[in-house]
Amino acid sequence: MLEVINLTKKYAKTLAVDQVGFTVPDGRVGILLGPNGAGKSTVIKSIAGLLRYQGTIRIQGKDSRTVEAKRHFAYVPELPCLYDALTVREHMEFITRAYGVKVSEEEIGELFERFELTDKQDKLGNELSKGMMQKVSICCALITSPDVILLDEPMVGLDPAAIKELKTVILELRDKGCTVLISTHMLEMVKELWDVTFVMDKGHILGTYTREDVANEDLEELFFAVTGQGEKSAESRKAQSAAEQDSAESGR
Amino acid sequence: MGAIGYLYRRTLVNRIKMALRRPITYFYIVVILFYIVVMPFSIKVWTEQFSIDSPEGLTGVLTVFAFWLVPGNLIAFAKRKGLVYRNSDVHFLFPSPVSPKRVLVYAYLRMLPSQILINLFVIFCGLAAFHVPGWKLAVWFLFSVLLENVLEGSIMLLLYGTERLTERQRSWIIRGAYGLVGVLAFIAIGYYLREGLSFQTVRHFLHSDAVQLVPLIGWYISVIHLLFGGVTVVNTVGSLLYLGLFAVLVAAALRMKCTGAYYEDAIKFAEDYEEVLASRRQGNTDKRLGKKRKFGKASVRWKGAGAKAIFYRQLLEYKKNKYFFFDLSTAFALAAGVGIAWLYVREGGFGEFTPFIIPAVSAYLIFIFTAMNGKWAKELASPYTYLIPDSAFAKLVNATAIQHIQSVVNAVFITVPGAVVMEMSPSLALLCILGYVALSANKLYALAVAEIVVGGTLGIVGRQLFQMFLQGIAIMVALFGAMLGMMTAGLELAYLLMVVALLLFTAAFMVVASLNFDKLES
Repeated sequence: MLEVINLTKKYAKTLAVDQVGFTVPDGRVGILLGPNGAGKSTVIKSIAGLLRYQGTIRIQGKDSRTVEAKRHFAYVPELPCLYDALTVREHMEFITRAYGVKVSEEEIGELFERFELTDKQDKLGNELSKGMMQKVSICCALITSPDVILLDEPMVGLDPAAIKELKTVILELRDKGCTVLISTHMLEMVKELWDVTFVMDKGHILGTYTREDVANEDLEELFFAVTGQGEKSAESRKAQSAAEQDSAESGR
Repeated sequence: MGAIGYLYRRTLVNRIKMALRRPITYFYIVVILFYIVVMPFSIKVWTEQFSIDSPEGLTGVLTVFAFWLVPGNLIAFAKRKGLVYRNSDVHFLFPSPVSPKRVLVYAYLRMLPSQILINLFVIFCGLAAFHVPGWKLAVWFLFSVLLENVLEGSIMLLLYGTERLTERQRSWIIRGAYGLVGVLAFIAIGYYLREGLSFQTVRHFLHSDAVQLVPLIGWYISVIHLLFGGVTVVNTVGSLLYLGLFAVLVAAALRMKCTGAYYEDAIKFAEDYEEVLASRRQGNTDKRLGKKRKFGKASVRWKGAGAKAIFYRQLLEYKKNKYFFFDLSTAFALAAGVGIAWLYVREGGFGEFTPFIIPAVSAYLIFIFTAMNGKWAKELASPYTYLIPDSAFAKLVNATAIQHIQSVVNAVFITVPGAVVMEMSPSLALLCILGYVALSANKLYALAVAEIVVGGTLGIVGRQLFQMFLQGIAIMVALFGAMLGMMTAGLELAYLLMVVALLLFTAAFMVVASLNFDKLES
């Protein structure tokens, strides 16, 4: 389970996240939605232990900053940054040592097979394309068999086959009781995955919606309704078409 | 072996393997070995000249280094800026269940190989130039690599990893470090007022009791004095204080609680570091770590069309820079020019090497500074370059024009001071300048040709080998021309044939290199 309680983060005098709180229970997929600058990245980085913050974050009931909590936690950042001088295989070896997990060769081979990395095992980090790096990053997170996994824009850079595979993996994780939190703009991609959605804007959670509560509503409509972005874009579309009409008329 | 040990070992092994695959590495090894062998002997001459060729002399030199390094490191750690993390550490290491203290030690240990190399160099100099007994140097090596590193590592852990000190309290530590430097400066001023400015005053100051009692820096200096200078009451007290401080700080570092609050600062530093690295790879040397680049306001009168837009855009970018297009290479060219002139006057000429000293130093500097990834290479990475409706050759000319102008300026700086004192004829000086520009352009285009010919198939290694091969041919022909000229009509013809040969090869390379601008793919 992932618990975020009264999370507040300031950068100098700028309040990036203000009193944010939410919970994603075991075996559920949470989606963090919000426009650019909403504070999603700050929330994600705080959960991953990369920022100083006020408030409490618990992973499986333990303070997220402790080594014990981190053992249960895996993180896939938006931009994968591999070690230039480690091969794909060595990345996996390093991660299993860091997390103290025993993994068989077959398990690693299976994971590589699923993400089409089998022939890339001996490639160095700096020899991979962005999409391949993202696959390695996902494999490194999955190999630790996490209880809580945080995926920041995980579909970016992936090919359709890998996106399909990742969706399957996420559902498998959920079915095994893992807590999944995904931050994304690509609403289409998570339509069939989500159990609970947190809509953020300007550093606040504007609404929390479970699939059961809003069974018939579209995620995209919900997002635009809460953030007001739908109205804004509708207004700007109207203004644009009016301007186009004006210029067409004056051209005549 | 733990995760950190594994990461450290594999990174080191793979980096060595990668380096050994690059031909340039062997050249660097030769250069470094040359320096390691030659420098102790030149230091020996220097120490004899200043009569510091004794263990006392080495103590003085190490004391000066301590003044520079100890407060510098203290301030860097207190500012959480002394350790280098990469974005890959932020991705994998920081969120992992590895103790944040170990993560700090890992970054600190990455500096260890270079420290060991420097200490070995000191041992080499100690034996060759300062006549220090081997066992004393062995003890010093152990002290420096083990004890001093553990102490400095503890200070690093306490300052970098602390979660109890507030920002304000850490700023007081920084002020304290400056305060220690202030105390040393105060003692130095005291010596100057009492004894005046002389080499003897500096010597007295470096070996003074007062310096050895300054906390931390002075206590470290006490140990050096105890080891190389013999036992005195002051250096014994200073050394004991050093040991006391060692015990207290190591114990405090071990007990300190650290949950990784420093990660936020380390991430900022890592991002900045990656930016600087990326900038250096593009050939920009003016971006400094921890300093945000500031651009001034500038304008340019755009003339012409097509590929000329590249030239004017680059000019505008340079005009916004603080130092226009002057960079480290310009400073080195000026320093080399003044250095040649000064040495010529001091030594009364360079004998039979006199006519070739400027081209030789120029060639060395060009080798160090001219890179394929100069500012112009950025144009190759931009898709917009290929959309400009102009010929590939025009794009190449406009993309490299400013680099050639910069090369002319550097050539003038390196040539004119020497040419004046050597009373070189204007035509010969002009040929020297042309030689520098041609050689610089030759290297630039040879690598660009290698890129187009073998870049796609042989990778970095093949590209470098091919570039060396191409440039080797050009230089061999140029040298042959120089010899021919020297034998037939003398120095001026030798220079002229050398420059003409280089220019012809450069022009040929340029035509092939322009294919780089034809398609982004190439």
